[in-house]
Amino acid sequence: MRVQFVLQEIWIGLRRNLTMTISLVITVAIAMALFGTGLLIKAQVDSSKSYWYDKIEVSIFLCNKVSSNTQCGKADATQEQKNQIKQTLDGLSQVAEVTYESKDQAFARFRESFASTPGFTQSARPGDIPDSYRVRLKNPQEYKEVVDAVYGMPGVDQVVNEQEILKKFFRILGGLQWAALLIALIQVFAAVMLVGNTVRLSAFNRRRETGIMRLVGASNTYIQLPFILEGAIAGMIGGLFAAVLLVGSKVFLIDRLQGSLQFASQLSWTSVFGVIVFSICVGVLLCAVASFLTLRRYLRI
Amino acid sequence: MIHFDNVTKVYPNQNRPALQHVNVAVEKGEFVFLVGPSGSGKSTFLRLVLKEERPSQGHVHVAGKDLGRLNNWKVPHLRRRIGCVFQDFRLLPNKNVFENVAFALEVIGKPRRFIGKVVPEVIDLVGLEGKAHRMPDELSGGEQQRVAIARAFVNRPMILLADEPTGNIDPATSIGIMKVLDRINRTGTTVVMATHDAAIVDAFRKRVVELEDGRVVRDQSRGVYGQAY
Repeated sequence: MRVQFVLQEIWIGLRRNLTMTISLVITVAIAMALFGTGLLIKAQVDSSKSYWYDKIEVSIFLCNKVSSNTQCGKADATQEQKNQIKQTLDGLSQVAEVTYESKDQAFARFRESFASTPGFTQSARPGDIPDSYRVRLKNPQEYKEVVDAVYGMPGVDQVVNEQEILKKFFRILGGLQWAALLIALIQVFAAVMLVGNTVRLSAFNRRRETGIMRLVGASNTYIQLPFILEGAIAGMIGGLFAAVLLVGSKVFLIDRLQGSLQFASQLSWTSVFGVIVFSICVGVLLCAVASFLTLRRYLRI
Repeated sequence: MIHFDNVTKVYPNQNRPALQHVNVAVEKGEFVFLVGPSGSGKSTFLRLVLKEERPSQGHVHVAGKDLGRLNNWKVPHLRRRIGCVFQDFRLLPNKNVFENVAFALEVIGKPRRFIGKVVPEVIDLVGLEGKAHRMPDELSGGEQQRVAIARAFVNRPMILLADEPTGNIDPATSIGIMKVLDRINRTGTTVVMATHDAAIVDAFRKRVVELEDGRVVRDQSRGVYGQAY
């Protein structure tokens, strides 16, 4: 096997089909980038899900002077009302733990959470953020009884089940993930057909060479290898572009989301790297297999 | 060297067989003219030897091997032992003489040192001394055919098949081509040449196998082109 000869053939093939090769590279790059993004979102969703479901709470916000609930009557909940609520919660079998968060604590947490948007924190004063009871459940699924028990009690402004918020959020992320994977699938389909066409054109362009190769007894591998590698190299270049796009989507999309949505767990570069390697392998393999299958139809041995 | 044992070939979607019950034996070192009008089955005969086609009936043996039993992946090895020359030369226009001849060795994975030694020898053998770096379009038809012969012979095949090698060449130049083929035949290579060039067949007085409508109608040693009535 003369490596130099094979490489030379590949180079000739790629150059003669330059426009096809470019469109192939672009298609593969987009397909693999979307595929990788889907995987990254999935990894992110999985890790934040397990993190959040451990910490899930039902928050019972108490009345304060600015609450809009008419039941509160623009007044803070009295100590008596608070005791009543606490008692009710302690009496519920589903409740694992009840903690009280005072207005000062709540304000401090608020400032910490939104430290990145100073305008927002400066507009709030201590006391604007209501005090609350934070209830941890033995089983996050059994929130309904707790909500029903305290909802409407005097001094209760709002009952917020965090699980509902998270669910909505994860549903959006899940949708994004599936959309990315679906578009990736369509792109992969387009890429496979493009590889087929590119290789077919390439085989047609070089029918003289392959005819002579056949005639003088070159082995099938020797005849087919340049074409298959041609597809694989286009896939590889596409995969490398996809890697760039994936790094971009980590920096500009997922990390941004993390900043504004307070993801619990950072998506590590290790997992991004893993996804990149995986996408490149899939891209190369896809193109190689597609060229091989096309060759069987268009290159008679 | 080449044995056709009751070979019939019918191409798909055609009623008339290209070859019918052909029995021909070509021994090692022979020079055989395969003559007959267009469509008489000469090219089919050559394609069967190369296993480009398989017979509908009968057996083809080449170099002691039954081609019907030869695995597909062994076909390239068969073809390495058979050289081929065509009417249309089939040179690569973007490669010079040396590269065209070397191509046949490169694609079967011969080392560069070997190529560098063998190719110039063959170029000299076919009478193209000093033209190794010419491009095909700088050569005359006869010279291009010499390049094609050099490429067919560079791997020292046991058999050389020539399909109308003088079909595109004027008579005077054809004689030169025939001398090259004769020289190759003298090295012990079996040569089968399909042609309808009567003058050449008559001048060389070799064995003649005549085909008509796919049948062998004459097999004559030291024959001439036309039927000697």
